Amino acid sequence: MKTAALVLLLLALVALPPLAEPYMLHVAIVVLMNAVYAEALYVIMRMGYLSFGHAGYIAVGAYTSALLATKLGVSVWLGFLAGGTAAALLAWLLGMVTLKLRGIYFSLSVFAFAEVVNAVFRAFDFFGGPAGIAGVPRPMFFGARLNTHLGFYYVVLGAAVISLGFLYRLAATRFGFTLLALRTRDTEGLAESVGIDAARYKTLAFVVSCFFCGLMGAIHGHYLRFVSPFVFTFFFSTDLVIFNMVGGLGSFWGPLAGAVLLTALGEQLFAAGYYKSLVYAVVLLVVILALPGGLIQLPRLREAWAARRLRWAKQPVVTTER
Amino acid sequence: MTRPHRILTLFAVVALSVVLGLPPSAHAQKPLKMGAIVPVSGPAAAFGLGVQRGMEFAAEDIGVFTVGSDKYKLEVVTYDTVYDPGKTVAAMNRAVYNDGVKYGVIIGAGVHPPILPIIRETGFLDLAFAAAGRQITNGENPTVFRIMASSDQLYQTHLQPIIERLNVKRVATLGPNDELGKNDAKVVRVQVEAMKAKGVQLVAEEYYERGAKDFGPALLRLIAHKPDFIETDGSPTGSIALIAKQARELGFTGYFLNSTAVLEAKAISDIAGKAGDNIIALRIWAKPPTQLYAQLADRHQKKYGEAAPGTMWEAYAATKWVADVIQKTGTFDTKKVADALAQSTYPDHPFGPASWGGEKTYGAKRQIILPIPAAILKDGKWEPFDVRTGKFD
Amino acid sequence: MEVYLPLLAQGLAIGVLTGILYVLVALGLTLIYGILHIVNFAHGEIYMLGAMAVLYLHVVAGLPLVPTLAVIVVLALLLGLAIERGIFRVLRGQWLQLVVASVGISLVIQSIGWIAFGIQEKSVPSYLPGIVDLFGIRLPRERLLAAGVAVVLVAALYWLVYRTRVGLAMRAIEEDEETARMLGVNANRVASLSVALGFVLAAVAGAFVAPVYSLNPGMGLEPILMSFLIIIVGGLGSITGTVLAGLLVGVIQSVGAILFGSEAAYGLVFVVMIAVLVARPAGLLGRV
Repeated sequence: MKTAALVLLLLALVALPPLAEPYMLHVAIVVLMNAVYAEALYVIMRMGYLSFGHAGYIAVGAYTSALLATKLGVSVWLGFLAGGTAAALLAWLLGMVTLKLRGIYFSLSVFAFAEVVNAVFRAFDFFGGPAGIAGVPRPMFFGARLNTHLGFYYVVLGAAVISLGFLYRLAATRFGFTLLALRTRDTEGLAESVGIDAARYKTLAFVVSCFFCGLMGAIHGHYLRFVSPFVFTFFFSTDLVIFNMVGGLGSFWGPLAGAVLLTALGEQLFAAGYYKSLVYAVVLLVVILALPGGLIQLPRLREAWAARRLRWAKQPVVTTER
Repeated sequence: MTRPHRILTLFAVVALSVVLGLPPSAHAQKPLKMGAIVPVSGPAAAFGLGVQRGMEFAAEDIGVFTVGSDKYKLEVVTYDTVYDPGKTVAAMNRAVYNDGVKYGVIIGAGVHPPILPIIRETGFLDLAFAAAGRQITNGENPTVFRIMASSDQLYQTHLQPIIERLNVKRVATLGPNDELGKNDAKVVRVQVEAMKAKGVQLVAEEYYERGAKDFGPALLRLIAHKPDFIETDGSPTGSIALIAKQARELGFTGYFLNSTAVLEAKAISDIAGKAGDNIIALRIWAKPPTQLYAQLADRHQKKYGEAAPGTMWEAYAATKWVADVIQKTGTFDTKKVADALAQSTYPDHPFGPASWGGEKTYGAKRQIILPIPAAILKDGKWEPFDVRTGKFD
Repeated sequence: MEVYLPLLAQGLAIGVLTGILYVLVALGLTLIYGILHIVNFAHGEIYMLGAMAVLYLHVVAGLPLVPTLAVIVVLALLLGLAIERGIFRVLRGQWLQLVVASVGISLVIQSIGWIAFGIQEKSVPSYLPGIVDLFGIRLPRERLLAAGVAVVLVAALYWLVYRTRVGLAMRAIEEDEETARMLGVNANRVASLSVALGFVLAAVAGAFVAPVYSLNPGMGLEPILMSFLIIIVGGLGSITGTVLAGLLVGVIQSVGAILFGSEAAYGLVFVVMIAVLVARPAGLLGRV
């Protein structure tokens, strides 16, 4: 039943778009990108690591691909891969430093890194400085450049399906389960005591997460045909966290649901100005307070509340980081 | 949670989103929609609100007009960009593809690059409020008109006369570390180099992070070179006031120059106090240049209870001008309207008679030519300092 | 770049004063984080509300300064109690949810602020205008006042935490909650009080820094980033650490900007933070 549903969804995503108008395709593209970003972030949020700096890795992916295409004329398809790889490499290097930290220290260190990345892109003309890089080309497909919404939509769809498929399967492997074991300081210690090399798993997870961020970031840059330090900001990182929290961290489908719903909601509020961020924030608070497992937990809400009440009786006043 | 439940919930969420995401269908033909693709929230909101309100006033004043054999009414639709490139792309997509909007005012040099392809592909008539020069105004963008004086134009028109009149010799620049600031600094540098023979030199060039509130260290570096004139590039209202205040605290006694649109005399004099004296601002009218200007100012004050942001008048004028041209040409075809617009002049602009120029410098006649004022702050009041018509070939 | 001694001296003075301002702003955050380990992202917005309160009560409505401050303290106290009861208490033990919830709270307050207070930049006139000239170094009086307030509050906080029973209860809860509870310390009351006091400190900081810069509803973002940076560098749970880190960051920013330019200094502060985190993850004076 589950597979039938998914196949149906996939068919719809492939067959319907030629009938849709460009605006709907735009929304679809943004939704697919956000879904991949959210799920990529989920890999490390499952591990208990809260990152407010993922936009930095997305930016690295976008800039890498943009630079390769505009300065060296490299094929855009290769650029996508290069973007993912660059982000992954950076994640590996920085992971050695930041993954040793837990809790808010980790969150702030990745945030700091993202700010430094943006500052570097802003400072040097090689990266286009504050104006960014314009004229980033779309990929070529059998001799034609994919300048239309429809054409590029399929590129995004393909990348999203592959990425989400991979990330979904990852959660179900031994690797994925081991990540769950690393959720808190205590359980991590327990895991190590049975011989699991926590550092290696954490690093690998971080690398995977950032690879997909970089990959989709590169695609993002080629969609906008523009990259600048003001596209991938701290607020972008925060949005990804909100997608995860509102959707729910209990399963793979949570962040996906959060990304899809909030992106669609955001589009509807296009003229609302400050009321839009107010709505986002209120939705976030309501979900956190009233829906402990996120939206994905709705059918089992009563059980979730009961479980929380039980747990709550034993909660300490001083909250330790994971 | 069991698997079927999870999938069902996911489906429900996705279905809900699709429904939510379905935009309302395009309206019938009688309203002529003009988009205000501007920031109405976030740090640049003042610019955007000025545009939105100016456009709405214009729509009221134009009322019902005839094109061909049909009657139309202008409808201003706002798309909040929060001055973010990604959201501007979303706004353009929605406006152009979903709502069928063909005309609009778009704010922001930093957000224009990703939407230029859409503008070119659809022929959208963009009345741009963007300080960058050639990147936007050039031969490849025939439907993009800059409706404010560009940085090049501002400094080319006013900088040298001001320097000569004040008899200052040591110029320093301090601006935000982004496109606007760096662009302005470049233009100033060129202008000052041209005055080398008169003994004027650029003694220092500093930048700060946009949004910074403490300019002490940057000012110290600047002041070490003993300037008598600090040009503040694209600094926004809050920053210029603080720069002046902190510079005076450090002992600077010279002049300041600023060229950003959203300057309110009261805000500056409140924040800076006496320190604000001798700030010279381009584009601030100390005395209303026309009756229309004063009327619009009063109207805004009455309706919104605050002084109008500097973008309001230009947006009002651009809207009326375009509606005028559409009526005269009798068509909504944006390419035809663009051509007609470029050839026309507009004597009823609140600033004074307006026309288009820029062929020599930008390769396209798409830069507005207007009277540009300079005002100087003395004792909390703006006084007229100079008025020149922007010269721009 | 020529570096003059008087220039550096002035830069140092500015850096120290700015650093003390940072400490003033970070105090509330330190208290809440130090005792309850709660990351209060709404801290910056409370600071903003404190500044706005001075604007509307003192400048617009004409209420004298001292009663205005009293009103601000009471309102901040009530708001803190309400948020602790309504949100923090519900999410006890769930670190991730607490952090994100406090982000949500900050977004709510900020959005309402923009809608209610409008977009124009505002200002509060100086409580003490003028400059003090000390051996050629120019020190603005209003910054000295804010610095003075900071010193008083730091001293008061020290006294509270280390010399009173209330402070003893707070430290006990933080160190070993179970034992403290067994010994009769009312953990709930400690939590409420800590949050309420933290809010009061934030609001008062806003009230005294208000005249130094300008006001707008988005003014809370920078203080909160700075404050976090400072308590991370200084070390969790250490007031002394916060003070030292604040001064250090202020001086690095100022002297760094003079030597290398503002943009470089901005990045330098982040680099320093990362360096400290790597070398001493618990902060300069923190206990693990």
